[in-house]
Amino acid sequence: MEDYTKFKLKKTDELTALLEHKDDLYVISCNKCFKEFEAETEPECAEFCGFLKEQRKNLTGSTQVDFLCNRPMTEKKLETAIPAQAKNVCVISCGLGIQTVAEISKLPVYAASDSVCFEGRHGMALTKRRCDGCGQCYLNLTGGICPIVDCSKSLVNGQCGGSKDFKCEVDKEKDCAWDKIYERLAAQNRLDFLRTGEIQLRDHSKVNFKIINDYVKSVREKRLVGFYGGLHPTESKEFAEHLPLQAFPTPSTVVIPLSQHAGAPAVPLVAVGDAVKVGQKIGDAAGFISATVHSSVSGTVAAIEDRKHPNTGLKTLSIVINSDGKNEVHESVKPVADWTKLSVDEIVELVKEKGIVGMGGAGFPTSVKLKSPKPVDTVLLNGCECEPLLTADHRVMLEYADDIIFGLNVLLKTIGAEKGIIVIEDNKQDAISVLESKVAQIPNIEICVAHVKYPQGAEKMLIKRALGRQVPSGGLPLDVGVVVSNVSTVKAVSDAIQTGMPLVERVLTVTGEKINKPGNYIVKIGTSVKEIVDFCGGTTDADTTLKLGGPMMGFEVTDQNVPVIKATNGIIAIEPEVSEPNPCIRCGRCADVCPMELLPLYYPIYAGAENVDGLKEKAVRDCMECGCCEFICSSKIPLRTSIKYGKKVLAESEAK
Amino acid sequence: MRISELFARGEFVLTAEVGPPKGFNLDHLLHEAEEFLQDVHAINVTDCQSSVMRLSSLATCKALKDKGLNSIFQLTCRDRNRIALQSDLLSAAYFGIDNMLALTGDHTVMGDTKSAKPVFDLDSVSLLHCVKTLEGGFDLAGNELDGDAPKFAKGAVVSPCSDSVDVQLAKMERKIEAGAEYFQTQAVYDSEKFIKFMDRAKQYKVPVQIGVIIPKNAGMANFMNNNIAGVSIPAWVIEELKADKEKTKAGITGIEITARIIKECKDYCQGVHIMALGWEKHVPALLEQAGLK
Amino acid sequence: MLITQLKQIDEVKALAGAKTVIISCEGCKEVHFPAAEAKELYNDLKGSGTAQKVIRTEYVCSPENLAVQTKKHLPAIEAADTVLVFSCGVGVQSVSEMFDKKPVFAGCDTIPLPGYQGVTPLTVDCDQCGECYLNKTGGICPIALCSKSLVNGQCGGCKDGKCEVDKEMDCAWERIYRRLEKLELLENMKYPAQIRNFAPEA
Repeated sequence: MEDYTKFKLKKTDELTALLEHKDDLYVISCNKCFKEFEAETEPECAEFCGFLKEQRKNLTGSTQVDFLCNRPMTEKKLETAIPAQAKNVCVISCGLGIQTVAEISKLPVYAASDSVCFEGRHGMALTKRRCDGCGQCYLNLTGGICPIVDCSKSLVNGQCGGSKDFKCEVDKEKDCAWDKIYERLAAQNRLDFLRTGEIQLRDHSKVNFKIINDYVKSVREKRLVGFYGGLHPTESKEFAEHLPLQAFPTPSTVVIPLSQHAGAPAVPLVAVGDAVKVGQKIGDAAGFISATVHSSVSGTVAAIEDRKHPNTGLKTLSIVINSDGKNEVHESVKPVADWTKLSVDEIVELVKEKGIVGMGGAGFPTSVKLKSPKPVDTVLLNGCECEPLLTADHRVMLEYADDIIFGLNVLLKTIGAEKGIIVIEDNKQDAISVLESKVAQIPNIEICVAHVKYPQGAEKMLIKRALGRQVPSGGLPLDVGVVVSNVSTVKAVSDAIQTGMPLVERVLTVTGEKINKPGNYIVKIGTSVKEIVDFCGGTTDADTTLKLGGPMMGFEVTDQNVPVIKATNGIIAIEPEVSEPNPCIRCGRCADVCPMELLPLYYPIYAGAENVDGLKEKAVRDCMECGCCEFICSSKIPLRTSIKYGKKVLAESEAK
Repeated sequence: MRISELFARGEFVLTAEVGPPKGFNLDHLLHEAEEFLQDVHAINVTDCQSSVMRLSSLATCKALKDKGLNSIFQLTCRDRNRIALQSDLLSAAYFGIDNMLALTGDHTVMGDTKSAKPVFDLDSVSLLHCVKTLEGGFDLAGNELDGDAPKFAKGAVVSPCSDSVDVQLAKMERKIEAGAEYFQTQAVYDSEKFIKFMDRAKQYKVPVQIGVIIPKNAGMANFMNNNIAGVSIPAWVIEELKADKEKTKAGITGIEITARIIKECKDYCQGVHIMALGWEKHVPALLEQAGLK
Repeated sequence: MLITQLKQIDEVKALAGAKTVIISCEGCKEVHFPAAEAKELYNDLKGSGTAQKVIRTEYVCSPENLAVQTKKHLPAIEAADTVLVFSCGVGVQSVSEMFDKKPVFAGCDTIPLPGYQGVTPLTVDCDQCGECYLNKTGGICPIALCSKSLVNGQCGGCKDGKCEVDKEMDCAWERIYRRLEKLELLENMKYPAQIRNFAPEA
């Protein structure tokens, strides 16, 4: 494996001369990148500090930083690190890190290292140096062997006279690039270029300040807008975004798990053989953090037994109901005449009674959020739907805009917040204009348009993006005076009040490049995934991955005989991913995209070693498992598995 | 005089090579040229050969011209970008120097100034193309030249005894495409290899001068064998050089060997290019023994 | 850091054979990959019947990963007469090495951006010259940020603090001077004439 360590300490005499008359030094050292991840810290820092001691210098402190050139993170780290008595900063890093520190620091910054000469660039793997970025790729002419990088003279018209024994005149170990090119082209019967192809003149103006500067600006802007990091996976929303909602036919049987939410499972209220109706409560909440469940059809309870949970794959107690096809509504389903007359407690109770939980994926009981122990000034509605492919919330916003505003008003009143903000990503312009016109006359509700970025819909990102507030490590939105809810959830709140119907059906997207007929459906909770997939024409071929939810955070389904639950916002059929993990090479991409500003690369190592201190120090609990790190990992390391395990290790150590 | 005209007339063209000094006194070089190189058609002047800094090829060509000697301006791509190369070509035209030889040039690390930046903005092929472009009255950027367009006999090099002779032939074809009108070869010691090479190269119908270096001793032969690209010296040459040290030291053996190679090969090529490497004084004897005088 | 630009559409179309397999590497797209334009082109090539298959994948620069990602597509690649790769130059070379009996063509040109591969493009750059000048220049690199890589001070091309090469580009030496002035370290600039060493690392 190549080692792209890009710097080495300057020689002692040069350092001695450099530090003459300079004292009260602070040392910053970079932990390097693009090399095998062997040690957590690199040796140069200690070596240099030892040298300073020999020189009888006053060392005010030192720090070792990962990816020193990552400016936002370095800036934060150095804000508090450099002590007041320091007068000079010495940096051990490649030129990128040194310049980054020099831009941030108010003190003079000195380089204690030289960046090592390299020619050509490598990819995201530690392969050979292979590309110089000449802006005029010659590989098509040369059989895929780069004459710019591989030839010492970067010749583009053929071999010079310096090749001897197929080796280069500059280095006898180095193969002559043009010998290799000849051989490759000869084998492919493509020697024409070498003999009579057009004469090549390099255009050194292809790579210029303007192109580069424009890219750097646009990429940095995109990457750092709203919140640090995040991703822009291909959206692929076009499969379903324009398809209006359709009611999915009532299934003959529904399977309603008693555990569809965060917290304790509900307790069954019916017995096998009981007749039930739509909206009838069939399971009761079993504690403060729990939720009720209702029948989504009218018919007869066929069984109360363990069935597979769609998300976890584990057995979970479920109520199986055979539908009579009549969809008779239960007598408890009655609209509230004038909700404004209800007390806060009555509304909270109603929301709990109607089984409403967060429909964005987590399934947290909404009633709990409504009873905030801390003052809340803002309710944020998440209409981002930042997962690729999914369009359920998008359709809900288009088709139930009034219900959403109604539900939001209920939340605002109940929580006592002054302001409601609906955050929508700018890839849903139609939804933005519908909602903007609807709230134009409502003084305390606004629309916030956010530039597309995953995971914008995550609570903490949403708060940062819309309000610029930072939820503290380990904290909740309440800590910064915010309650976050999903647009579909408030639509359910609105239903509970306006029609009295509990959460017995939801909107979900059936989509992906491998589904034959994509669509957005209003589906009864408990409908089997298989029935829905079949209804949508099945998958295009057997080589398909099926997920409940989006491609980033969805749950893979291997057995389609599982039900849709309250938090199921989509069924997607996509190209299977194949990957085999390779060792981490400290490429830094995970740190670059982690919206929580963590260093995910350490988790596999610390979790593997069950290193509790390390896991705590790198704040594994702050991770929300959005999957950005795993998505971007150039070594295909299943980071989320390590993170989950790390959290478990931490929990167990604390239980002891 | 353009040597391309000699080739066109069917003459067997003789050229010899001189290397400018590391300094600006040309007395010795000019004296040797006048004394020993009167019988060749043109004298090649190297361009900081082996990446060793020396007096320029252009100035030396001009000095030779002033003495009434015909010269070939060698031009490498190592030290100048396309602006400087074109400018020097125009300067050569101004001085009335009308033979040029395009080379890529050794890498800077091969010479005595390893810390220099290697340029290679153009290479031998694109340099020939560049000369042709100038001859058409335009520079490489497409701008029209003032006044007359220059005209050169455009030469190039090829290594017939290279380990990668296929690759060399491919490049030779490209050079012809780019405008090469004659070739001088790397030093040849293996007649058989050269003849085989010419058998393949003759299809291009471009004159080739066989390159020769008078071997000074066995040590030099071994060194070239091991270190110089495109040179392969058969064992019999080395044995012969070893046989009679005195004779070798006097240059007699080297001249005999070289003359023999020329005789064996001359029917297959259109001229001889002698790289005397300081033994300019032996050139007349060599020409005589090879039957070229 | 490397980014890719599509070659001229006509140029790419001319490269495609009668039976082409496209490998589209989207692993670095957080940096830049012309995804939308590429997709359109793939569809074009599919529509005209030349592209038999489009393999959308990532990090083909890693030979190990490339092997994993192409495993199930090997029969299609075997049957193809051309492999067209949309990736940086590194990726194209990994593919052409793996399928060295097949014509492998590049659909993109590659240009370098400041900053190393893994990190968001930066506003600072390092050319790894091996003889860091930053101590003399207040931590602003004259090699990477001056268009002429001058190491002995400003040239005559600076106008209004901008470079002669591009009016939007700050003159590195102007910045160096201003920074040193602010740090009260202008003395730093009084160093002996510098000559760069271009010899490759021993």
